[in-house]
Amino acid sequence: MTNLPVDSCPINLSDEDIFSAMKEIKGYLDITPGDFKEIYNFAFQHAHTRLTRSIRAKDIMTREVISVGRETALKDVADLMHRHGISGIPVVEKNLRVVGIISEKDFLFQLGDKKTRSFMGAVSQCLHRTGCIALSIKEQTAKGIMTSPATTVTEDAPLSEISALLSEKNIRRVPVVDKGSILTGIVTRIDLVVSFCSLDELKR
Amino acid sequence: MKGTTKSPPAVGLYEIFLSWVGAFLGITPLAAINSQLFAGTDQVMIIGSFGASAVLIYGAIRSPLAQPRNLMGGHVLSAVIGVAAYNVLGHHIWLAAPVSVATAIAVMHATKTLHPPGGATALIAVIGGQNIHDLGYLYAIIPVGLGALIMLTVALLINNIPKERRYPEFWF
Repeated sequence: MTNLPVDSCPINLSDEDIFSAMKEIKGYLDITPGDFKEIYNFAFQHAHTRLTRSIRAKDIMTREVISVGRETALKDVADLMHRHGISGIPVVEKNLRVVGIISEKDFLFQLGDKKTRSFMGAVSQCLHRTGCIALSIKEQTAKGIMTSPATTVTEDAPLSEISALLSEKNIRRVPVVDKGSILTGIVTRIDLVVSFCSLDELKR
Repeated sequence: MKGTTKSPPAVGLYEIFLSWVGAFLGITPLAAINSQLFAGTDQVMIIGSFGASAVLIYGAIRSPLAQPRNLMGGHVLSAVIGVAAYNVLGHHIWLAAPVSVATAIAVMHATKTLHPPGGATALIAVIGGQNIHDLGYLYAIIPVGLGALIMLTVALLINNIPKERRYPEFWF
């Protein structure tokens, strides 16, 4: 099963799993465990391809999306993210048109010496000085640190495309928009993992 | 040639018992007809390949090779091919024999009726002796077709009595 993307939920059948399963069927099974494993692997890949092509962003996205405006103060943005336990937040205009996105990394980038985007990098730099340089962004608004334009997907984007996008851009979430770039939902890595592991249920 | 996997697990005692009983009840009518009804005639009701079919349709009932389509189709097609091979190549039995078996296999593959005893049925048509040869194409009906049908009937009854068995897996 080496061709499956990281976001999938592969279960590697061991020879013992198969043999034990065969013992649970009473009659003589006219197939070797090895042949069964081969078929299983092919069937799994077929199912994976079929489902990742047919399941779309709109099937797995969260629809009640928390967002902020360009002029929202950063301290309020941070507060919102903290209270809702989210690591990223889209920045939208009044009509919910997506103009950018802010993630934890964008904050970390500002907290450190602008060379690192990691939490420990920022902590380390804080510890090496007498205070942390969060002050520079204290008076800023969302538009100051947001990534713009934001990467988005349409509601019809298949799972395979979303998965590839998150991998390629090294991002953990992607806002879902309609034809006019209006925010309709958001898909995170966790949504992907959960959906991969329950691909069948989603199609029923 | 190394072998990459292992044999499927052995079946339990109950399954062995069911297979024994099934085969016994399946072969009995053929043997009875052969020795009672056809005694003193040149007709035969039982040929070696039925023993092989019994293994499949009573002992490995889930196997794709044991299904009704394979049993009936495999036997009848192979019988026809065997008789044809004898008719065409009968003067060279050493050639007629392998041609009948190989062709039977090819045809069974092509028609999705692969049934191992079919190879035996084809071979018996060639090497089976005078009374088989005298039957000509009737061989495909008696003993082959009728014998297979009797065994199938027994299989349909006996294999569906135990709750953990079911037969067939498919008809067509």
